[in-house]
Amino acid sequence: MKLIHREENNVVIIEPKGKIMGGPESIELHDLLHELIDGGKNNVVVDLSKVDWMNSSGLGILISGLTTVRRAGGDLRLAQVTDKIQSLLTITKLITVFKAYDTIEEATKSF
Amino acid sequence: MKTPAITPDGIIIPSAGAFLAAVDQRLEEILVTAGIDSSTIADIAISVSELVNNAIVHGNRSDPAKTVTVHVKISEDEVRVTVTDQGKGFAPEAVPSPIADDNLLREVGRGLFIVKNFVDEVNVATLPAGGTRVEIAKRRENRAS
Repeated sequence: MKLIHREENNVVIIEPKGKIMGGPESIELHDLLHELIDGGKNNVVVDLSKVDWMNSSGLGILISGLTTVRRAGGDLRLAQVTDKIQSLLTITKLITVFKAYDTIEEATKSF
Repeated sequence: MKTPAITPDGIIIPSAGAFLAAVDQRLEEILVTAGIDSSTIADIAISVSELVNNAIVHGNRSDPAKTVTVHVKISEDEVRVTVTDQGKGFAPEAVPSPIADDNLLREVGRGLFIVKNFVDEVNVATLPAGGTRVEIAKRRENRAS
């Protein structure tokens, strides 16, 4: 998994790429999320368009980020969720927990 | 064992998350060669990653001296994968439902639940000599041309 991030209008956009399966790359995503949150960036969009798939480790990282930013008054929202990840969110009922948007623009403007 | 060992039908890895990518790569290599479609490969790959994670963390307790063995068997109708660890076994029924309202925001505990939803059959067995073997089966519904 490769990881890049940028900031637009006080919203941090994280773009993971590849597969999020629980190895060292997952720790990298977890650490980046919490580094940004610790730095006061509480409005976060995770762009999932380039993530082939994720497993429960990936979901755990997103939940960890979500609960942390919500406690700080922000939110973590998803954008461009692929069919496979949509299916995962539906099965696990996490679709009821995360706000998801079709485009990055919609997600960033939603804050 | 310090590095993964490729076998004719799978891979054997030491108990470390760093080798999850090697398992995924070997699995994809076998399934692509057999002409399995990409959506089925993703379902199997997600499931195997969950089982290997469980085998490393809950089975072998991340003991690098213990291994996780992944074996793939492909027939005309289905793909079967077994993941075997060298731990002391576990009770799958003891894992609380991850979709209960109180558990939705838990960061862990979804692995086996996801596997059961992504494949057609899941069998968990505690081996007489120790260790757990989980076998999954996924039907080949969409044959790649």
